[in-house]
Amino acid sequence: MNSVVSVTDFYFKYLRSDLVLKDINLEIEKGSFTVIIGPSGAGKTTLCKSITGIIPYYTGGDYAGDVKVLGETTKGKKVSDLAMKVGLMLEDYESQLVSLTAGEEVAFSLQNHGFPPEEAEERTRKALEDVGLPGRESYQLDELSGGQRQRLALASLLAVHPEVIVLDEPVSAMDPDGGESLYKLLGKIREEYGTTFIVVEHRVEFVLPFVTDLIAIKNGEVAAQGKCEDVVSCIYEDAELRPLLPDLWQIKCNMEEKTQQKFALWRSEDEAVKELKARGFGKGVRA
Amino acid sequence: MKLNAFTWIIVTLAVTAWVFILPLEAVATILVLQLVLLLYIKRSKTMLAAIGGLGVFTGMMILLQLLFGSPLNVSLFGGLRMLVMTLAFLCMLATTRIQSIAKALVDRFHLPVEYAFMLTAALRFVPNFLEDSTVTLDAQSCRGYSNRGNALKRLLSYVVVIRPLVMRAVAKSETLALSMELRGFGANTYKNMPKEPFTIVDFVVLVIVIVLSSYPFWKKFLF
Repeated sequence: MNSVVSVTDFYFKYLRSDLVLKDINLEIEKGSFTVIIGPSGAGKTTLCKSITGIIPYYTGGDYAGDVKVLGETTKGKKVSDLAMKVGLMLEDYESQLVSLTAGEEVAFSLQNHGFPPEEAEERTRKALEDVGLPGRESYQLDELSGGQRQRLALASLLAVHPEVIVLDEPVSAMDPDGGESLYKLLGKIREEYGTTFIVVEHRVEFVLPFVTDLIAIKNGEVAAQGKCEDVVSCIYEDAELRPLLPDLWQIKCNMEEKTQQKFALWRSEDEAVKELKARGFGKGVRA
Repeated sequence: MKLNAFTWIIVTLAVTAWVFILPLEAVATILVLQLVLLLYIKRSKTMLAAIGGLGVFTGMMILLQLLFGSPLNVSLFGGLRMLVMTLAFLCMLATTRIQSIAKALVDRFHLPVEYAFMLTAALRFVPNFLEDSTVTLDAQSCRGYSNRGNALKRLLSYVVVIRPLVMRAVAKSETLALSMELRGFGANTYKNMPKEPFTIVDFVVLVIVIVLSSYPFWKKFLF
């Protein structure tokens, strides 16, 4: 497997806390769209920060094991250098924006890493175009809506051309339409640039059309990981993790249990209806 | 015609010195020029409110000086000096981007980047802070906060709004610090910003600054 992130025997505890991550072993495939699920306080955000090198090199704490990004260990690396390969969008993306205008915001990382002004300008233009904010370089941040500011945060990650982008609950404060449109955008970027996405998400229904891999975390440990097709039933069997699966997949697993038949991993309600009809379910039932 | 941020900083600093060395007529002329410039740049309600606010503050200063026994002419000249000094800063902020000022302070005055960044970060977070304060005020009002009663009572009860507001601001500042670290904030931040070249106008203005600043020396020869 061509993995871009590999975590081996990783343990971590913050200063004056219990172990937050225990015996984490992970491989994240290049170009995949991996979703991390788990109950609150399971260690999802800590895992994201470990992948981006923030933990333990920025926050402090005790750790064991190794995290490799694009084949290189994060040990001894500057967080900002790692960020050129792995972009991170935090849950509070608003506070992550540091500049006064959209153009400056996107160019900020580029300037800090010594890109010539012409290249920074060109990359800024392209990144804003990619997230659907073309020509908005001179806009003040308060002239943009919440959704646009989130796209701007994404554009500032895209501008440095990272191979991996990690997003921590990106749609937690968004309405369903906003959430759907953000994931459509991520799907488009992945298709266009082959970027690997790692997303912490509670509402997996938004990512159904795009998700390729799932990682379930429980009490700081990996409860299940792998291709969606392989791990959904395993997650369903765990009573604590089951509610985290989207309704559609819960129905699928429940039907598999009841009927002893195997169903495809439905990505939409239409897909589910089509397959169920083809197999003769719901005959004689009036809508 | 746009002045470089460096020129503006020099002019602003010079004006604060001129109010003490130039005669009353010259200071009054500077005031008129400042008002013309400000109203030329932006004749909006905000600008008029800012000028009006400074005017009221100046009036209070004059009143205080009179109350403490200063003669009328001294109080008026003192107020005028203060008004001209503060308007100089207003002119600089109204005509120059804060990012350019920060860059000039780092490049030309060797201000540490962290302090220069504070200028832009403060402006960046003002709208967020105002939004947070409204949300916190609403939330605490639902929990029984009331701003009724005498001034002291109101001040003490406001603590329940300030506390969560400060906690939110601290949490946001932590995220901001992390974001800056992730994005490599440091010495390069201002170095790689697009350069703003000096024009002939900047040189002319700087020469005028030198001439006017040396007024105490050459007035001896003229008069």
